[in-house]
Formats: sequence, C-alpha cells, structure tokens
Amino acid sequence: MFASVRSATLLGVRGSRVDVEVHAGIGLPGFTVVGQPDEVCRESRDRVRAALLSAGLPWPTRRVTVNLAPTGDRKSGACLDLAIAIGLLAAQEIVSVDVLSEFAFIAELGLDGSLRPLRGATPLVLALTDRTTIVAPGNFVEARAATPSKVLCAQNLFDVVECLAGRADWQREVRDSKPTDALNRRRDNRDRDVNANSSAERVSALDMADVQGQPVARRALEIAAAGAHHLLLVGPPGAGKTMLAERLVGLLPPLTDEEAIATTMVHSSVHLESPNAGLIRRAPYRAPHHSSSMVSMVGGGTALMRPGEISLASNGVLFLDELGEFAPSVLDALRQPLEQGIVRLARARTSVVMPAKFLLVAATNPCPCGEGSPGACTCDESARARYLRRFSGPLLDRFDLRVAVSRPKTDELVSPQRGESTADVAERVAAARELAFFRSGCANSALSREQLDLVAPLSRSAEKRLRRELENGRLTGRGYHRVRRVARTVADLDGAPDVVSDEHLNLALMMRVDLASGLRARELQF
Amino acid sequence: MSVVTQKFLSDDHLMAASLTALPKIGPKRLSTLLKYHDPQTAWSVVQGRAKPHDVVAALMQESGLGAMWRANATRDLQEQILARCKKAGIHLVLYGESSYPSCLKNDLAPPAVLFYLGDLCALNARRVGMIGTRSATASGRYFASHLAFELTQNGVSVVSGLARGIDAWAHRGALRAREKTDSADMKKPKSAFGELAPPVGVVASGLDYVYPKEHGDLWRQVAQTGVLLSESSPGAAPEAFRFPLRNRILAALSEVLVVVESRDKGGSMITVDEAQKRDITVLAVPGSPRNIASVGTNLLVQQGCLPVVGVDDILVALGLDNRRASAASFDPRPRLSEQDAHLVAVMVGAPFSLDEFVIRTGVPLLEAAISLGRLEALGWVVNNSGWWEVIEFG
Repeated sequence: MFASVRSATLLGVRGSRVDVEVHAGIGLPGFTVVGQPDEVCRESRDRVRAALLSAGLPWPTRRVTVNLAPTGDRKSGACLDLAIAIGLLAAQEIVSVDVLSEFAFIAELGLDGSLRPLRGATPLVLALTDRTTIVAPGNFVEARAATPSKVLCAQNLFDVVECLAGRADWQREVRDSKPTDALNRRRDNRDRDVNANSSAERVSALDMADVQGQPVARRALEIAAAGAHHLLLVGPPGAGKTMLAERLVGLLPPLTDEEAIATTMVHSSVHLESPNAGLIRRAPYRAPHHSSSMVSMVGGGTALMRPGEISLASNGVLFLDELGEFAPSVLDALRQPLEQGIVRLARARTSVVMPAKFLLVAATNPCPCGEGSPGACTCDESARARYLRRFSGPLLDRFDLRVAVSRPKTDELVSPQRGESTADVAERVAAARELAFFRSGCANSALSREQLDLVAPLSRSAEKRLRRELENGRLTGRGYHRVRRVARTVADLDGAPDVVSDEHLNLALMMRVDLASGLRARELQF
Repeated sequence: MSVVTQKFLSDDHLMAASLTALPKIGPKRLSTLLKYHDPQTAWSVVQGRAKPHDVVAALMQESGLGAMWRANATRDLQEQILARCKKAGIHLVLYGESSYPSCLKNDLAPPAVLFYLGDLCALNARRVGMIGTRSATASGRYFASHLAFELTQNGVSVVSGLARGIDAWAHRGALRAREKTDSADMKKPKSAFGELAPPVGVVASGLDYVYPKEHGDLWRQVAQTGVLLSESSPGAAPEAFRFPLRNRILAALSEVLVVVESRDKGGSMITVDEAQKRDITVLAVPGSPRNIASVGTNLLVQQGCLPVVGVDDILVALGLDNRRASAASFDPRPRLSEQDAHLVAVMVGAPFSLDEFVIRTGVPLLEAAISLGRLEALGWVVNNSGWWEVIEFG
C-alpha cells in the first residue's frame, strides 16, 4: 500500500516542504529511508517503531520504503517523525489516506508516543500554509502566532490517530506552553541561561536615565536609532561604552508584523525561546564575545545552515564590544551583509539566504593603553598605528557615526540629576523614523544617492563646508554621502524636515571621528 | 690599508671607529682606552698584539672583556665599519683633535669619538636645546615648532634628539624657517642677526640607522642644512641604554635647554638632570595643570626654572635680547567675536572632548558643533582623533 504525508524540514531559517511517501509492499520485512536523510532523520525509524508500539499501534511486517520527496535536497532533524508514523499507519489502512490531503505534520516523537516540540516551528508552519498543520503542544502557541492558517495539536500519537478518524477532538488550547517532560525542561533551562546575558528582556529593561553626563554619546544613540546608522563608540575603559550600547535597543520602536515574523523565524530555528512563545515583538539584542568564529557570526556550520549572530540580530542591534579583538576575517565578513541586509551562504550542496538587517554598534579603545587623549596616552605612535590597523578602512567607513566617548567627571557621576529617560528619547526617535519612512519609504541610512539630493538639500554654507572637508581629504566619497544621511537624521530630530543646515551638518561631521588623524603629521600653519 | 681607505678615513679614524663597534664598550671604557693609547695602538692592544697600559690592562681583566674584544676585533669588523661610513658619508672626530667641537672639550664626560653627518661648523652658532615628550599634544607640537622657527630666524641653532613628538616638531619648525627664506623672500633682510642658524641633531643609534623609521627625511634634511651627531658606531641599533647617553651630549651642546612638554618622568627629565649637572640654564614651557603632558614642565617651573611663554624668554636667557629690534609678533588669524573668545578662554589649556566642551561651556550640542566648526576653520582649534585643542598662537 502507498501513502503520502506532507511535512517540512528546516534549511537555514526557512522551512521547505517534504512529502513523506511510504510504501509497504511484499518482500522480506524491512525498513529503508531514502531521499537523502541525515543521521538524525535515519534514526527516526527506531523512534517511530517504539512510539507506534507504545501507542498500541501496529508496526508493519512488510517491506517498507520511505521516500522523502523531493529527493534532491538533504533532509535533517527529527521533524519528519510524526509524518513517517502517520504514513506507516496510512499504508496499513489504520488511518484513511483521503483525510491526509488536508493535513501536514511537524513533530518529533518520544519513545512513549508523545509529540515533542522542535526548533524552527515558525519557519516550518510558514512553509505549510495551504494545509492544517499538526504540531506538538510545546510548539502550539508559537506556530499559531506565526501563521494565518489553521494549526492544531495533540498530546500523543494515539490522539492524532483518533482525531484523524474523527473519534476525538483536536486540542485547541494549551495551558502550559512549556514542554512537560523532564528532558526538555532541562534543555530549555540551559538554553535560557546561555542567552540570559544578552537576552532582550534584560536589556530592554535598561533605561537611558541611568547614563550620567555623556551628552554626545546620548545624542549619537538617538541619531543611530532614528536613522538606523551604524555606530562606533571609541573611548577609554570605564567610559560607559557597553552601558550606552545596551541602552540603544530600548530606543528602537517595536517590530512591525513583517519584521516580527522574520525575527521569530530566525530565533525559532536555533531554538531560542520567544517571549511567551509567541512572536518576538521587541528588537533583538545580540552581543557575541570577540572570540566568536566566522561561522557563529555569519551562519552555516552544519548541514542545516544554522543562522549566525548577524541573522539573530536582524531588525535589532548587534553589539561588538572590543571590536579590535575580533578576528579580522570575521569583521570583514560583516561588510557584505552590512550593505545588503541579507547574508547569502553558499555551500557545495546548498545555498541559503538569511536576513541580516542589523544595526551594528561597536566599541573599542582608542589605543593600546586605552587613554587616547593627547598627553594622557602613553602609547608611542607606532603602537597606535598598529592598533588602528586592526580595523580595515572599508569597515570603519561603514560606521556612519564614530563617536569619542570620554570618562565622565566625578561631578557628573555623583550628580543627583538623572538623564532623560528612554521613553522620552524613544518618542522623538519614533517621530523621526516615521517622518523618514513617510518621506522616502526607508530609514535615512538606506537613502540612495538620488534620493539624497531630493530629500536632503544642503544650505549654501553647509555645502561649502562639505566641499572644504572633501578638498582637504578628511572625507572620502562614501563618507560624503554618509555624512549627508546622518545630517538628514540630525535635522529630522531637530524638527527641521526640509533643508539640512550648517549646524546639522557640523554635528554629523563631528560624529564621524577620524581615528587616525592624530597620527598624520599636518602641514605647519605658518 | 688600501688606497681607497686612506682617502675616506684616516687610519686613526678607522681604528677609533672600529673600537666603538666592539661589544660592551661604552663611552667610559672607550675614553679610558683612547686616553692611554693612540687609536692604532689601542686597536693592537685590543687585538692582543700590543702591551696595554696598566689602567687599560686592569680594565680588560674585568669579566672577560679582553677575551671578548679580542674575538671581535677583526679585519672584518673594520671593513664593515668602513663600508658603512663610506655608504652613508659618515665622518668622525676624535677627542683632542683640533676640529673637535669646543663646546664639548671641557665637558664632564666628552665623547671620545664623535660621528657626524654634515658640517661641524654648525656647532659654532648659538645653541638652544629643545626637548619634550614623545606623546605631545597638538598645541605642544605647534608651540615647539614656533619657538624653533623663530630661534632659527634669530640665528640660534636648535639642538634636539629627533625623537617622535616635541623633538621632531622642533626641527620641523627650524627647517621650515630655512625653507621659507630659501624660497620666497630672498630680498628681505634675513633676520635680526643676519644668518639663519643651522639645525643640530643628536641621535642615539648609529647615523645610518634611522630611528624612528618615519623620520628618514627629517634626518637627511638636518644633515644637509646642519649637522647630525652620534657617538654610536654606524649600524648601532637604538638600544635603550643609548638614549640617556645621547641625552648627556644633547645637554652638553645646549647653552640653554628648553623643555616644551614633559611628564614628571622620562627621557626629557634625564636631559634636564644632565643639564643641571653642567650648570646649564633650563627653561620650561608651563602648561595647564589639567594637561598631563605638562606635569613635568610645571614641576620644573615650581622648582625655580624660568618659564618660557615666547621666543624672547629664550633670547634673553642667551643674552640676545632683541625685543626692541624685532617687530611685534603677529597673529595672522582673524579676531574672534566676544562669544568665541569666551569659548576659547574657557577651553584653553588641555585637550578636550566634545562632551567636555558641551558640559563646560553649557552650549547646546548643535550650537557647539557650529562654534567648533567655525573656530576650526579660523585655525583657533584643531581636532585629532576626536580630541580638540585650542591653539593659542597661530
């Protein structure tokens, strides 16, 4: 007998449909899975057998071939377990083949026949929108939030069979979305611990009011959030670079539906828990350590093509502390995603595209001794030059905002006066963002050159100033346009929606510190 | 000896030069050797072919020095030194020779052998040593080059160590003064004292070993227009112990020593000590108490060194008071508005960040950006790697 059951597997951050074809024919009893299953997938034979027997359902004593179509792609993971089990039952005519055309199945099976949640529920159900999808209780809330189509769940394999036959009702509510068995709970807790440090919850609770002094860095955060400009904070240790960077994410507006789904897809596919197991609505914040490998940053690695930190930070903030300590190859790998907003990974067997539209915030010391200020710095020039060589020019050029952060003075630190709160700043940011999107349909940092002339006309004196900067070589061609984009954002925040005037441009220029300028011997001025 | 050698270096000079290249031979041991023997005998003594004087024999007993020297004092070494001298055009002068600089003759520890590039006559002008920190602030660098510029115009040589920071900028100022006269205003009266003074550089490494590397041009120009001195053999690397020794020569060559910017410790302070041992006047450029680069100079002023606020202070110390002769110094920058003058007055002294500017002046950020942009365009402030500084004199 033959049966075909719809399911899906994960590749990168997308689900791809798989038809599980089961044929039970005459021959010596046996079981083969064909169609490029990986190790985990091939093991499903043993899981499915145990689950069927535990649920009191028969295991076929015929020659069984399971084909995973399309056969060209490699399938991985345990997400096909339930579909294989149902296929086997249909081939034995325990489940009617006719009803199967309405359903799709994505769940892992426990040996006791229970349905287990799996990672990537969001992308998987999004690949199956034309069917009613059956998921494990642990994935129910997330799956239902992600897709407009119908999602149902059941506790175990036996229930699934009963429901398909119409002898019982599907479960439509799940009280406790957490997986119930001990093993999963432990795994869950561990995952949460690992990500606790940079979890969106902790970071989004931080308030700008805690930042004392630092008027320039505060403004830089506001500009970065409003115009989606990448930000580099340069300053001595203890100046508060990390503190500032963590507060940036609170200034970003909540994600739109589209962004929320895209972000949830990425997070779901690496089994990061989403808030209340629904869609991620807050901008994510990721702060990988500087020892991170290339694969952990851009993605790839296994046959599943796991998304990297840049994809996890998509629509949110990627914070790279101690930028100079990252491997140069890792940093340079960020350049293409920074420009395109996606990362395209190609391997011999597959090629995937993952989102990478992140706001890059980086922090670094100005020199090896960390002081930076002329006179206070004890590094000699060659040591400084060596230190600055760690950042490639093209990468530095992509930071629209490069801001020197200095240590706040004692008076500022102990001052009882608190800074402006995140809520107040976020309001201005939201208004400026709205204005930008209304005007040109994108954030200011993404304005094309043609658009720039249209939406950011310069006042006469501002133009003169820019010309001077270009002539004395302090601004590159790319820098010229970037400064204009930042100036546009500054003007938006200042409530000057039409002409970009002198002051806006000057501030934009001053927030684009040339790290190496102290090293160049200038012409004597007499 | 070949014919060619005799043309370039005399035998005495070649032997002496070779002696300086021996391991563990400092200025003291070299002086002792050359005090009791003429150079050619000294070389034989070192090779073990002549009988040393008792004092020298005692010296060579010390921790196997004699054996080490004997092993190294080869024909190869001689030829190497000769090749290096010839390639770079290095000459030398021995203590006691008539052309030996008179200013070093009566020094506490005169170098027995002095290598030079350029013209030793450069040492006949009045000389002022200018020293300071390697990590100087922009205003410190400008001030050093301005002082050097005006000293050179007044016929006073600038003696410096060609290190990074203040040293290099002092010489850049001195060279600039020569360039300016060479190119543009040939017709104008040259200076109050007629001649432009040649620059004098004293370096720690061998004269063909440029350190720091990026100062290659500066070395060449100093050697071309003035003189470049070293007591290290050609090819000697800039090892740490050579710098304090260099500083002693620098101090000895200076009639007046000016410290532009210095911390409370470091090479500049060693030079100051050497100068004070020799009873040479030390002047210091005072700075803001907030400026870390001026801690050392402020300390000197506190201890009684006279402060330098302009070139006249140095000229007075040299007895060349020309305050009536020279035109009043002229700041070519446009006058500041009252508001800008106030900003400059508040921020002058130490480097500041944009943050500090906003907090100290109380000006809102956008306005601050405008003000700083304007002041920068007018030349009143400069920006280096995000740090701003007020430049007090254009």
